[in-house]
Amino acid sequence: MVELDFERRLERLFADYPELPDAGSFAERVERRLDAGWTARRWLIGAAGVVGGVIGASQLMLSNVFQRVETAGDSARLLTSSLNHISTGTDWVAALSNGGTAVWVAAGLAVIMMGFVLTRVIGEI
Amino acid sequence: MPGSRHSRFASLHDVELCSHAATGERRAFGELVRRHGSAVRGVLRRMGAQSAEADDVAQDAFLTAFERVAEFRGEGTFAGWVKKIAARLYLRRLQRDRKLGLMTAEPVEDEAEAPRGDADATIDLEEALKVLGPVERLCVTMCFGAGLSHTEAAEALNLPLGTVKSHVKRGLEKLRTRLAPEHGVVLEGRRGNG
Repeated sequence: MVELDFERRLERLFADYPELPDAGSFAERVERRLDAGWTARRWLIGAAGVVGGVIGASQLMLSNVFQRVETAGDSARLLTSSLNHISTGTDWVAALSNGGTAVWVAAGLAVIMMGFVLTRVIGEI
Repeated sequence: MPGSRHSRFASLHDVELCSHAATGERRAFGELVRRHGSAVRGVLRRMGAQSAEADDVAQDAFLTAFERVAEFRGEGTFAGWVKKIAARLYLRRLQRDRKLGLMTAEPVEDEAEAPRGDADATIDLEEALKVLGPVERLCVTMCFGAGLSHTEAAEALNLPLGTVKSHVKRGLEKLRTRLAPEHGVVLEGRRGNG
C-alpha cells in the first residue's frame, strides 16, 4: 500500500513539469518544420505532375497521334460520304468529318478532368 | 489572421485539436505543441538527455506525432502518447550513437551521492534522479514519466524484462530514500502543464 502510494506520488511528480520559458519559440520551431515539410511535399507533387505531363506529351508526339487524328478525320469523312449514299446522314458523324473536332473536344475535356483530379489529390494530401 | 486562429484553437480540447491536425491543419497541431512541448522535453531531460538534444528529439517526436495523428484515438492523453514516441526516439538515438550499450553494460552502483544545495531547500525530482545510475534513470523515467509498461520498456531497451524490473525496483528504492521527508521534499510536486 505504501509502495503504491509512493508510486502514485512519483507519477504525479513526473507529470508536473513546469512550463519552460521558451515554450512558445519551441512550438514555433516545430510549426516552421511542419510548414517546410508541407511546402516540400507540394513542390514534389507539382514537379511530379510536370514530369508526368512532359512524358505524356512526348509520348503523344512520338506515337504520331496528330497524324492519326487526321487519318481518323479522313476516315470519318469517307464514312460520312458513304452513309450519305445510304441515308441522309447524322450530325455526330458530320462533326467527326470536320477535321476531327469531336476528338479535340474530347481531348480538351480529358485534360480539364485530369487537372481537376490533380487539384483534388493535392488538396487531399 | 494567425493570432485569431491560435486563440480559436486555444479553447479546443486536445482530442478536437488532433481531429483538426488529422485534416492537415498545422496551426491546430501547433497549439498542441504549445501545450505539451515542455512536458515532452522534460521527460527527455529526465531520461538524461542534454537540453539541446532533448529539444531535437522532442521536435522529431512532434513531427512523427503529426504524421501519425490520425492513429491517436484519445485513449490516454495526447501528451502521454507523444512522450512514448519521444522516449523511443531518444533510445534509438542512443543506440545509433552506441551509448545505450555502454549504459546498460555499466555496473550499477548501490549508492550514489547527488550534489546537494541548501539543506533546507526543497529537492526536486531532477536532483533526486541524479542519484540513479543512467540505466536506472532511463528505466524509471520510461515507466513513470513516459508511461511505458515494463514490457514495452524492456523491448525498447532491448533488455530482458527481469533486468528492467530490477532496475526500476532499485531506482525506486533510491528515489524513495532520496525523496523521504527527512530530505525536505514536498512530494506533491510543482505546478506545470503535465
